[in-house]
Amino acid sequence: MITFGEGNLRIPRFGKPVYIVAGGMTDFRKTYPEKATEELAAEALNMASLENDLKVSMPEFKRLVNFCVYSQFADHFGDQLLAAARVHDALGFDPLGNFEVKTGGATGGHAVLAGAMAVASGYADVVPVVGWERMDEVSTRQGNSYIASAACKNFESELGWMYASYYALMAQRYLYENQVPRETLAKITVKNHRYACSSPFSQNPMKLTEQEVLENKMVSDPLSFLECCLMSTGAAALVLADEAMAFKLTDRPVRLAAICSGTHTLRTADRRPMAVLRLPHEPENLYRDRKWDWPGFSAFLATRMAAYLAYQMAGIGNPLEELDLLETHDAFTISDIQTYEDIGLRPYGRGREFIESGEAYLGGKLPTNLSGGLLGAMHAVGATGIFQIVEVLWQLQDKWAKFHADPKMWERFGKVMPGDIENLQVPNARRGAAISHAGTGSHVTMAILERA
Amino acid sequence: MSVELVAPGCEVLNLSPLVIENVKDYFHVHTYGGLTRFFEGLRASRLLGTRCTNRACEEHRIWLPPRAYCPDCLRPMEWVEAPQRGEIFTHTTVEYPGSNFKLSTPCPLISVSLEGVCTKMMSYLKDGRPEIGMKIRAWFRTENPTHTILDLAWVPA
Ligand SMILES: [Zn+2]
Repeated sequence: MITFGEGNLRIPRFGKPVYIVAGGMTDFRKTYPEKATEELAAEALNMASLENDLKVSMPEFKRLVNFCVYSQFADHFGDQLLAAARVHDALGFDPLGNFEVKTGGATGGHAVLAGAMAVASGYADVVPVVGWERMDEVSTRQGNSYIASAACKNFESELGWMYASYYALMAQRYLYENQVPRETLAKITVKNHRYACSSPFSQNPMKLTEQEVLENKMVSDPLSFLECCLMSTGAAALVLADEAMAFKLTDRPVRLAAICSGTHTLRTADRRPMAVLRLPHEPENLYRDRKWDWPGFSAFLATRMAAYLAYQMAGIGNPLEELDLLETHDAFTISDIQTYEDIGLRPYGRGREFIESGEAYLGGKLPTNLSGGLLGAMHAVGATGIFQIVEVLWQLQDKWAKFHADPKMWERFGKVMPGDIENLQVPNARRGAAISHAGTGSHVTMAILERA
Repeated sequence: MSVELVAPGCEVLNLSPLVIENVKDYFHVHTYGGLTRFFEGLRASRLLGTRCTNRACEEHRIWLPPRAYCPDCLRPMEWVEAPQRGEIFTHTTVEYPGSNFKLSTPCPLISVSLEGVCTKMMSYLKDGRPEIGMKIRAWFRTENPTHTILDLAWVPA
């Protein structure tokens, strides 16, 4: 589709408001042989129901649930088809209805979207959304090959069996069209690894210097190892509810003001030039003199589409002014810069300024990936989109410290809380957003959460 | 009657927590369906794309990778010869591929711009160092073909 018809850009509406009442997660590890998949899911849901100050006991909570949504990216990894049935059984939710959502890297975001649709329509009023990925039962090379089976099998997978290389094609083009110093790209991974140091859930906390990133080995030029996301094992869970149930369950629900989805062709190759889909705050003539095709290889139409809908659904005029924190799907450094542009933090071609200006840091205008992101904290694919929303939820509930800065939480995962842990609570955070992203931008959701 | 184990057991990789080997020993088949002509074409040094036959359709350029149906109007497409000379739109060099990669590394991947083609297909540069804008021509693996997209590559023009 290169032109929009009437109906294509309709702003989604919920039939009734949707709230998030609780969140939970395991820690994330490269290998997690101590726990089976359904045990990880149970731990994430346990944290959500037992440690989020809910006003009901665990047995009471379970009696209120009426539908479940599950999120796992690839049956290949766990080698268990219908893993959701095993998890649903282990969580003791039979015979309630459930389904499992699959949209690649954006599976977590779309699972939350599916749960929100159930609540917004009145089909259900208390819906746990639980996601996981078990990526530790194959070698990293085999894992990359499995992930690349999500690319086009006829025309792409054989060309590297490696998503980092498919992203690198976009990255090389982005750098050609928009000169971005490698130092700027390094800043993104230095930042996210640093924030990962203040989270007990993180797989890969590191205090890096820009120089170390610049000297790092290339996976596929221009992307180095430290600029590529992790492969993790772990789980995350959240609980959605309608207004009546939300306030019955908690005094501090957070409203899911919007969650919207966009897509684009699975093969980057097939993205034909079209007019830029402008966001509400972008002036009409902003791209009049644009030199390069759009979206080309340097923008994600799926992200732009999700943001276009989500901002209008949530009533956001200018995201940089009206959002207090952001979680992006920082699978690669350059794709993060592309995302800043797609969601309108800067016009196309100027995404680098968002990181260079300091706005992306705590204390800046829109702190981004305080969780540590996919570069520093985790990418257990089916859990990722849920993990991001849980981190935003806790920030909006002013509970960052409860879950991150309690020495007992670190001990639970066999870690010692660092003496120099940073307080990453965004003061008085009212609104946050999270972006869940698949393929080279094949599926994307943007969720906007707002303090109720 | 007594039941015996007739296949090998599983190797233990770690005793506690217990981790065992889960060996796979099978193959899939892969079905090209309506795209068969494209892969047949590669063996005959022909680069075949598809084009929409619907006059009312907005897209008249060639699709490469080809498609059986036009995504804009869902009408069947016709096979046409695509240009065998073009230029590199973007590139990367694969250093650490995933398992099952059949080419030697480092391997330059490229996206190819071709006149009259509305897509920029992914491929690889068989010889030389890739650069954006570099002129290239198609190369076909007609001897020992793999019957995959690896039978098409590009070389400096
Ligand atoms: Zn057509």
